Amino acid sequence: MEMQGKLARLKAAGMRQDIVLLLLFCLMVLAFSLVNPRFFSIRAMANILQDFSPVVLMAIGQTFVIASRGIDLSVGSVLGLAGVSMALVIRAANEAGMDPWLAIALGLAVAIGVGVVVGLVNGLLITYCRLVPFVATLATMGAAAGLSLVLTGGTQIAGAPKEVILLGNATYLGALTVPVIVVFLIIVVSWAFMSRARFGRWTYAVGSNPFAARGAGIDVESHLIKLYLLSGVLAALAGAFVYFRLGSGSPLSGRGGELNAIAATVIGGVSLLGGTGKLSGVVIGALITTAVLSGLILIGVQPNWQQIVVAALIAIAVGAQGLGAKGGR
Amino acid sequence: MTGTSPLYEVRGVGKRYGGIVALDSVDFALNAGEVVGLVGDNGAGKSTLVKVLSGAHEPDSGEIYLDGERRVWKSPHDALDAGVETLYQDSGIAPDLTVAANVFLGREILRQGFLGKLGFLDEKAMRDQAHSELERVGIAVPASDRPVARLSGGQRQAVAIGRAVAWANKVIILDEPTNHLGARQAGEVLEVIRQARAKGFGVIFISHTLPHVLEVTDRIVVLRLGRVVTDAPSSQFTPDSLLKAITGLSQT
Repeated sequence: MEMQGKLARLKAAGMRQDIVLLLLFCLMVLAFSLVNPRFFSIRAMANILQDFSPVVLMAIGQTFVIASRGIDLSVGSVLGLAGVSMALVIRAANEAGMDPWLAIALGLAVAIGVGVVVGLVNGLLITYCRLVPFVATLATMGAAAGLSLVLTGGTQIAGAPKEVILLGNATYLGALTVPVIVVFLIIVVSWAFMSRARFGRWTYAVGSNPFAARGAGIDVESHLIKLYLLSGVLAALAGAFVYFRLGSGSPLSGRGGELNAIAATVIGGVSLLGGTGKLSGVVIGALITTAVLSGLILIGVQPNWQQIVVAALIAIAVGAQGLGAKGGR
Repeated sequence: MTGTSPLYEVRGVGKRYGGIVALDSVDFALNAGEVVGLVGDNGAGKSTLVKVLSGAHEPDSGEIYLDGERRVWKSPHDALDAGVETLYQDSGIAPDLTVAANVFLGREILRQGFLGKLGFLDEKAMRDQAHSELERVGIAVPASDRPVARLSGGQRQAVAIGRAVAWANKVIILDEPTNHLGARQAGEVLEVIRQARAKGFGVIFISHTLPHVLEVTDRIVVLRLGRVVTDAPSSQFTPDSLLKAITGLSQT
């Protein structure tokens, strides 16, 4: 009797996971604001949204990949590599006297190209070379991070025209920059494709039972390649947005970004076992992850503690999922 | 259908994996409205033959004929398109998806117009049709918007078989469909197979559960060490003689 009541409650809570997460987020904002009232200001919110953008972009890609029973560890390095490649191209174009907007477009194309190449390599390593996703993307994570250092000699690449900063930081309606607006559009479109379209359905099917998916005539390999491509491109776009914000590309930016992305994903309720997970939860998961990071700084915690906190969040979220799964079965 | 040729047939099929001969010049034929049992010990070549018949593996030698016409399957997709539907052992279903999503997996109904071109799903149409399709093939339908993981083992298998029968238009290959099922649920599965036969499908029934094989099939093909050792009407077998044919003990 008591067990059944508990089960029913657990199930009800599980079904309304995004609402639970949203409440958690509001509580966090409240708590941080009580410690430091500056947290609850348009300016701080605008900052959080700017920090949120790269995290949620990587988390969206991660959600598709994890739902297919994979993982993409390379997203942070792709962010960094795309950022420095773009910075190098735009600096060179700027020095050659190219129209700044044209230079930005060229740089953006190069950044996305980086995402396409790394995503494609991940996809091919996993499907045709049959590496497990963990190993394949660990390899490209290392290779992309190394390439960033080689390209830059380990230094930050500045030399951006002022239009870059303008594009990345001019705000509309108080808190929205162009990248933030684009991120919102991407959230809506990817949510639609994940939950309402065949693309998402096949992603869940591949993660739930690849044999059944193949038996149903789905080309599992080409679908997986598309997923890693998507994850690579979104991470590269995150790199471009970080570059727009700072006006420079650093080979160190994006380091540890995979940790934030995975944290957002598992906090959002995506099971690492594949086959499940909602993007609505992941978006709130990304908000929570970002708010924790910004909030820690605002209440005076040393930035060096960030990774430790994010790692703890991952462990707690996955642990809670395990408990939920035991209760639900 | 062309003359008296069987509905589905393979001739002289051979398949090796490295140095191991999995199938050695196997002939196998199936007529419309017939249920053929495919039996054999572990390693006899049953699963390899199933993979060749379903298009998952290309044979090294031999030919495949459907309706008397020579066919080459490059992928399971080719076989599906031609009307050969396979339910693999324990893997026919995606447990995280709903009943309707499973029934329509790989054949989703898309919405009309622009959204449909982008791949957006018509969930309502799939829910409704999944319900009526499963009912049509004689399966008690659980709520079609429920994830399959929440169903009992028997209901899951019923959905998997219902899916195969609903989509097949010529041949249905069922690999161990009564595995892990209770007696009553297995009985329901066998009833679905009889209905499929009555509708003129050819059914290949692969199973270790010999009483089920004897109960539902018209003819039994016995594989041993990659070869067909017996091919005879089911009425000629007793449980004992079938077991002997499988193990080969009757010939020593």
